[in-house]
Amino acid sequence: MKKEILQKKVEEQVLDSYEAMYRLAYTYVRNEEDALDIVQESVYRAMKGAAGVKGEEYIKTWLWRIVMNTAVDFIRKNQREISVDGFCETGREDVYRDFDTLEALKILDERERAVVVLRFFEEQKLTEIAETLCENVNTVKTILYRSLKKLKMELTEGEMLCEG
Amino acid sequence: MKDKRLEEMKQDYETIRIPKELRQRVEMGIRKAKDEERKEKIMEKNSGKRRSKIRVYGVRVAGGAAAALLAITIMANSGAAIAHAMEKIPLIGSIAKVVTFREFESSTNNMEANIKIPEISVENEDGTVNEESTEKINKSIEEYTDEIIAQYEKDVEAADGEGNMSVDLDYRVITDNDRLFSIRFDQLLVMASGTQLVKIYHIDKQTGEMIDLAGIFREDADFITPISDNIKEQMKEQMAADEMVSYWLDSGTPEWDFQSIREDSTFYVNDKGNLVIVFDEYEVAPGYMGSVEFEIPGEVTEGLALEGFLGN
Repeated sequence: MKKEILQKKVEEQVLDSYEAMYRLAYTYVRNEEDALDIVQESVYRAMKGAAGVKGEEYIKTWLWRIVMNTAVDFIRKNQREISVDGFCETGREDVYRDFDTLEALKILDERERAVVVLRFFEEQKLTEIAETLCENVNTVKTILYRSLKKLKMELTEGEMLCEG
Repeated sequence: MKDKRLEEMKQDYETIRIPKELRQRVEMGIRKAKDEERKEKIMEKNSGKRRSKIRVYGVRVAGGAAAALLAITIMANSGAAIAHAMEKIPLIGSIAKVVTFREFESSTNNMEANIKIPEISVENEDGTVNEESTEKINKSIEEYTDEIIAQYEKDVEAADGEGNMSVDLDYRVITDNDRLFSIRFDQLLVMASGTQLVKIYHIDKQTGEMIDLAGIFREDADFITPISDNIKEQMKEQMAADEMVSYWLDSGTPEWDFQSIREDSTFYVNDKGNLVIVFDEYEVAPGYMGSVEFEIPGEVTEGLALEGFLGN
């Protein structure tokens, strides 16, 4: 019985946050088809594993962890180079502008990327992110600052290349 | 930490386009998990049942190295031992009835089959057996179930017994009135995801003959056009009312689109006396819709059907 209740809660959470799940997946693979695959697989894993959640209050962070892990599995399995077309190409700027800056995320490793996305884009609490990553809050802070620094550098370089 | 470029990046993140099929894919993930769970529950139930069955009926192990992994139980048609199983068989009418059934069960690691094969007896009004019809329907059912069993065995062999698959076939008598006897088979095939297939046999009790959809209509009546048109209308209405509903209709790939029903389309008559057309999974809609059914309003079939089949 408990399992059924948890599963119901997981389903509600999924239906509530699937767009955010998609965006997170998208930052990993940066194409729609793969991101859709990752979301579908994550939802499946979450529903199947619902009984394994420690408690209702952990569902949200647990779901993020599943998306991250699924995305990482997906990339390892496919080992494909993610296309970087359109980055800084002059004259096509308007068309690709939407995703230009997200390309910069590729310099981050999987954990760094998750921290940036969850904290900076999804505006989650550091404690929630710590739970998602199974880390303590201080570690998450360290990862966050390191990642933002890396990102700024990457973005600056990108800009300079474009201007040059 | 405020940085113009980081803010810009955040904006880009927030404007990542959400594809319109996202919701659909989420539902598919949910459905797949639920399907598998339902399936696992059935398997648990069956594994309990099988133990007792093996004790009562004995096991026949097929020869050959690969086949030795298969434990096949065949239910015998006689003997007091199956009396308790027989109790569950619906007794039907005086003209057509399910007299017994055999069961094909097999399991190899994670591959399982559980196929129930009923035997039908068609009797004349004076109580004698109508040999011809009886033989015909049983042969037809057997061909159908043999095909499923053969496919299953082929799959086991191809996967060397290491696959994940389960086939479930069950039947129930869905109509037994003065004119019509219908027995419905529901096949649930679970591999990576579940597939639902439906097969229904009908006997015209007036003639004792097996009939298909065309058999309930007058010979000169065009039932295909009005029923197909009605189904298309229903598809459109449902799609307009609920964006989660999707059928292959005007999809831009005409060869995938639903065009019309066939003379032997799967059907049954519901308790309102209305015709219901059944489509297998994938036949007229994406897989997540499952097997779909359309109830045809009485006014569409009015005057087309032979007497006694439909409510009108």
